[in-house]
Amino acid sequence: MIEIKELEKYYLRGAEKVHALKGISLYIPRGDFISITGPSGTGKTTLLQIIGCLDRPSRGSVSLNGIKIENMTEKELLQIRRQKIGFVFQNFYLINGLSVLDNVLLPTIFARKEKKRKDVLPLLQKVGLLERADHKPNQLSGGEMQRVAIARALINEPEILLADEPTGNLDLDNSERIFELFRFLNSQGLTTIVVTHNPELASKTKRVIKLKDGKVEH
Amino acid sequence: MKFLKLATNNILRHKIRSFLALFGVSISIALTFSILSFNKGFEKNLAKELEGTGLHFMIVSSGCPHEVASLVLHSSVLPKYLDITLIEKLKQYPNLKLISPMLVSQLPNHQKNRIDIIYALDISHLPQLKPFLKIKGTLPSNEKEILIGYEIANHDKLTIGDIVKYGPNQKDFKVSGIIEKTGGQEDAHVYMFLSALQEILNKPQGISAIGIKLSTTEMLEKTIEQISREIPGIQIVTMGQVLNSILNLANSAKILSLSIAIIAITISFLGVMNLILMAIFERTQEIGMMRAIGASKWDIFKIIFNETLLITTGGGLIGILITTIASTTIEHFLRIFMPYMPSGKILVFDYNIAFFCILSSMIIGAMSGLFPAWKATKISPIEAIKG
Ligand SMILES: Nc1ncnc2c1ncn2[C@@H]1O[C@H](COP(=O)(O)OP(=O)(O)OP(=O)(O)O)[C@@H](O)[C@H]1O
Ligand SMILES: [Mg+2]
Repeated sequence: MIEIKELEKYYLRGAEKVHALKGISLYIPRGDFISITGPSGTGKTTLLQIIGCLDRPSRGSVSLNGIKIENMTEKELLQIRRQKIGFVFQNFYLINGLSVLDNVLLPTIFARKEKKRKDVLPLLQKVGLLERADHKPNQLSGGEMQRVAIARALINEPEILLADEPTGNLDLDNSERIFELFRFLNSQGLTTIVVTHNPELASKTKRVIKLKDGKVEH
Repeated sequence: MKFLKLATNNILRHKIRSFLALFGVSISIALTFSILSFNKGFEKNLAKELEGTGLHFMIVSSGCPHEVASLVLHSSVLPKYLDITLIEKLKQYPNLKLISPMLVSQLPNHQKNRIDIIYALDISHLPQLKPFLKIKGTLPSNEKEILIGYEIANHDKLTIGDIVKYGPNQKDFKVSGIIEKTGGQEDAHVYMFLSALQEILNKPQGISAIGIKLSTTEMLEKTIEQISREIPGIQIVTMGQVLNSILNLANSAKILSLSIAIIAITISFLGVMNLILMAIFERTQEIGMMRAIGASKWDIFKIIFNETLLITTGGGLIGILITTIASTTIEHFLRIFMPYMPSGKILVFDYNIAFFCILSSMIIGAMSGLFPAWKATKISPIEAIKG
């Protein structure tokens, strides 16, 4: 459960103060599946970063399961990222040279969790890449890479999956497959928040949140 | 998946670049390792060689430069002669067990168009003075016979029984024996009877130096003092002084070689640092991603630090391996720079030095990794999302 109240975020660009989020209130229950859309520069990424504990609110509050993140230390935010959150990026960021298997295992070394091949295989099956476990990223298509990245986001069994334009670098076919996958994961109880520019894809989610100029558009 | 695997993978992603940095470290460590081993071996072999003579001190004519006098065992030609009658005076001292006159000179070898170093002494003393010599054939048994060093024999294709001519009258000398390779000055020496060289030089009474062995060492200082007081015109050089003089002479070469090693290490250090900084710059977003998915600053530090340590320690190990495998070649090369060489194999594998070199390479790694790793921890997790 995510509760956002009057969230504001400023950035300093030199002496200039950029007001990226101008008071956002949102309630996202456990198991929700929402998309965030809106024109460029309206604060979608900023919002996702704050929900994902990568950055802190300038004003207002964000609580995850009742715990306010604005009061947390750097260390506590890191622990939340390790345990509760899975991230998917537009550019996949798989590590070249490491196998699909090792890429999926990457978060476990940071979370200090001993996981093995047998823990990864079910995840790879979920994302439809079981037979690719020992391939290298450069042997995969874009869509396949993003599905590996999704498996990586899931390895530590997070409660929330955050994806910032995960289909931004993919063709329509692959994009739809990724959203299918999100829907499937959500059906298993994973709270899923996806930023996208594509209204058609956004319409596949349970709820669409439109941002405009740092605010939620109603 | 382990941190080490991650670091290894990062190194392997840019094979050529990493190899160059690693190679730089290997070379600098190989250099340091061989120089340190060499210096240690040099001192050890020199001390062993001097000890091997069993001599306690040398007597030379007063006014001989100290350094040159020290090298009489290493075939330096002294500008002033002692008189052979000195031997009789020295025999008065009961504590002197061995009194060994020697005469060193350079003689033209007209057949080969070359100057040979001639070392003349009481041949019966030779096995005592240079106990490490292994001889094929026999020691010269009379004034017409000579013993030659390995290189001379090899170069001139001389075998036992061959004739070499020396002196204004081109007297015949028969090779009675050949010294097996020592790696030292002996390889280029010709040994003959004292009287034979005195005759050639037309100095029937002349000698360069006298080596003295005492029956008991307790009397060393007293004896030296007494002899210096009672016999004018001579100068006494103890073996300790000989050792120090030679080490001093070798010192500038030592300093030069160590400076080269330090420069090489510095360059390799900068090379590694540059490699890692470049890698971090290229991987900014990837590092941001790792921070976003749960890596702490310390985790990032460890990954980068491991990378540098792997490269430098690997380089260090390879450097030591290279030196060990190529020690003969390297020794030959270093001998060109060192002015006075004791005999025997000088570049021997020394665990302490090897350990020190590995440690140095790890310190290079730590030093060159510290700044880049620290810089990497400053990368924000937001970098990954910005894309
Ligand atoms: N680190 C930062 N420093 C300064 N300004 C920033 C920073 N990050 C974002 N901004 C500004 O905040 C505003 C919101 O940016 P944000 O990236 O959240 O927009 P977005 O909706 O994700 O846009 P896009 O669709 O182009 O990805 C923009 O005006 C942007 O320039
Ligand atoms: Mg964005």
